Amino acid sequence: MPANFSGSWERDYSRGEDAQGALNSLFRQRQRLVQQQSQFPGSPRQSAGISQREANALIALARLVEEITRPDVLTITQDDYEIRVARKDDFELSCSFFDGIAQGTDSDYGTEVCSWDGNSLVSYLVLPGGLTISHRFTMSEDRNYLRVITTAKSSATRTPFTLHRYYIRFEAPPNAFNCIETLSMKRVCSTGEIEP
Amino acid sequence: MALLLGLWPLAGVAQLNVSIASFDPGVPEDYSLHQDLSVFPKIRQIESLFLPFVLREALTGAGDWGAVRVVPEPDESAELSITGAIVHSDGESLAVSLRAVDARGREWIGATYHTEGRYEDLFERFVADLAGVRNNFDDRTLQGIVNLSLMRYSAALVPDAFADYFEQTPEGGYRLLRLPADGDPMMARIHRVRSVEFVMTDAIDEKYRELHEEVDSVYEIWRKYRRWYANFTAEEALRNELRETNAAKGSYEALRSAYDNYRMDRLAEQEQDKWIVGFNNEMTPVIERMDERIAELSGWVDEGYTEWARILGELFEIESGLD
Repeated sequence: MPANFSGSWERDYSRGEDAQGALNSLFRQRQRLVQQQSQFPGSPRQSAGISQREANALIALARLVEEITRPDVLTITQDDYEIRVARKDDFELSCSFFDGIAQGTDSDYGTEVCSWDGNSLVSYLVLPGGLTISHRFTMSEDRNYLRVITTAKSSATRTPFTLHRYYIRFEAPPNAFNCIETLSMKRVCSTGEIEP
Repeated sequence: MALLLGLWPLAGVAQLNVSIASFDPGVPEDYSLHQDLSVFPKIRQIESLFLPFVLREALTGAGDWGAVRVVPEPDESAELSITGAIVHSDGESLAVSLRAVDARGREWIGATYHTEGRYEDLFERFVADLAGVRNNFDDRTLQGIVNLSLMRYSAALVPDAFADYFEQTPEGGYRLLRLPADGDPMMARIHRVRSVEFVMTDAIDEKYRELHEEVDSVYEIWRKYRRWYANFTAEEALRNELRETNAAKGSYEALRSAYDNYRMDRLAEQEQDKWIVGFNNEMTPVIERMDERIAELSGWVDEGYTEWARILGELFEIESGLD
C-alpha cells in the first residue's frame, strides 16, 4: 500500500477550520465572484449568486459535515489487505483490497468505495437522495500529522461543502489487560498473554 | 455362494456401513464474493466438520444402518459413501448438497436439502429419503454391495490378488464378478487389516464427536445471533420503506436521515464482525487440536495401510508362486 496510516490520531485544534468559518469563507468567495462578474459585464457569465434555497442546502451540508467529523480521536489499523478507521460513535470507515483492487461495500442504504490517489486514501460514500461524502486522508512526510479533507455534496446544491481537519499522531497508553472477544463469555481479559 | 455366507453373514446385510466425509465448506475462492454471499470462511470450515456429525447422529438414531463413521476424506470403497457441500448457511437457514453413492458407484441420492428451522430436520429428511432408496433393494442386492465394497477395499490393498474379482462398467460404476473361496487365507488377512483400520477410523470418528460437543453450544449462540441480525435487518428495511418523511430535499433532516440509516446498517454489520471474531477466537483452538489429532491418526492409518499393502503383496507373491 502506498502509505501506512496505522496508529492513534488526535485532533489538532490549532490547525484546521470549523464548519462556520468554512461556510463563511465559501459565501464570501461566491460573493466576490458575483462582484467580479458585475464589474466585467463582458466576461462569460455563470450563476455565481446563492439563492436562499441553495444557502439552506449548504448550511445543512455544513452542519452534517461538522457532526460527522466531530470525533477527536481516530484509530487506524492497517495491514496488507485492509484499512479501518475507527471513529467514536460512528461506523468504521473501511477499505479492503483483494489482489490489489479496492473492494467497496454496498447495501440498500448506500455504497462505500475507496481508492488510493497517490499517497492519499480517499473514501467515498454515496447515499440515497443524492448525498455524497468523501474523506481524503493524507499524511505528512514525517508521518506525524494527518490531514482529513471531508467533502459533502447534495443534489440540492451544485456547490460542495469541504472541511479540513488535522490530527497529530499520539501513542495510546498500553492496555493493562489483554482481551479477546468470545461468543460464550463475551470479552475475556487477562493480565497475561491470551492465545486465541 | 453358501460358502461365502460364512464369511459375510446375511443377517447383517440389511444394515449397510456408512462413511460420511467432512463436508465441502462451499467457500468461493473469490474473496470478493464472501460479503455478498454472507460467507464467513472460518465458520464454514467449522460447519464442514461439525454438520457431518449431525448427519451421523441422524443415521444412527434411525437404527437402520450398520456402523456410521465420519471420516476426513471420502471413502470410495465404502458400502455407502456420503459426501456433502454447504450451499448456504447464515445461521437462520441452511442448505446442504448431499450425495450418497454405494460401492457399485450408483448414486442413491444427489440433491440439495434446505431448512429454516432446526438443522437436524434437514438431515432427518435426508436419512428418511436414504431409507426409502435402501428399501427398494432386496437382500441379494445389498449383499452384493457389501461384497463389492470388500473386494474394492481388498484390491486397493493387494491389486494383484483382487483386481479381477470385479470390473468397471462403461458407465463408470463397478460390477462384482466373483468372490474368493471360503477359507482364502488372504481374505482372512484382509478382514484383520480392515478391522484394525476400522478401530483407527472409529478413533477419528470420536474426534468429530468431541468437536460436536465442544462446538454445539457456541454454534447455537452464533445461530441465535444470526437470527436476531436477520430480523433486525428485515425490520430496518421495512421501517425504512414505510417511513414517510416530510423533510425537504437537501434539508439537514433529510441528509441526517440518509446518513443515519447507513450508519446504523454499518454499525450492525461491524457488530456482526465482532461476533465472527469471537466465534473464531473460541473455536480456532478446538479446530487446531482436532486437525492435529486427525492428521496424527490419519498418518498412522496411511502408514499402516502402506505397510499392510506391502506385506500382503509379498505374501500373495509367495503363496501364488509368482516371482
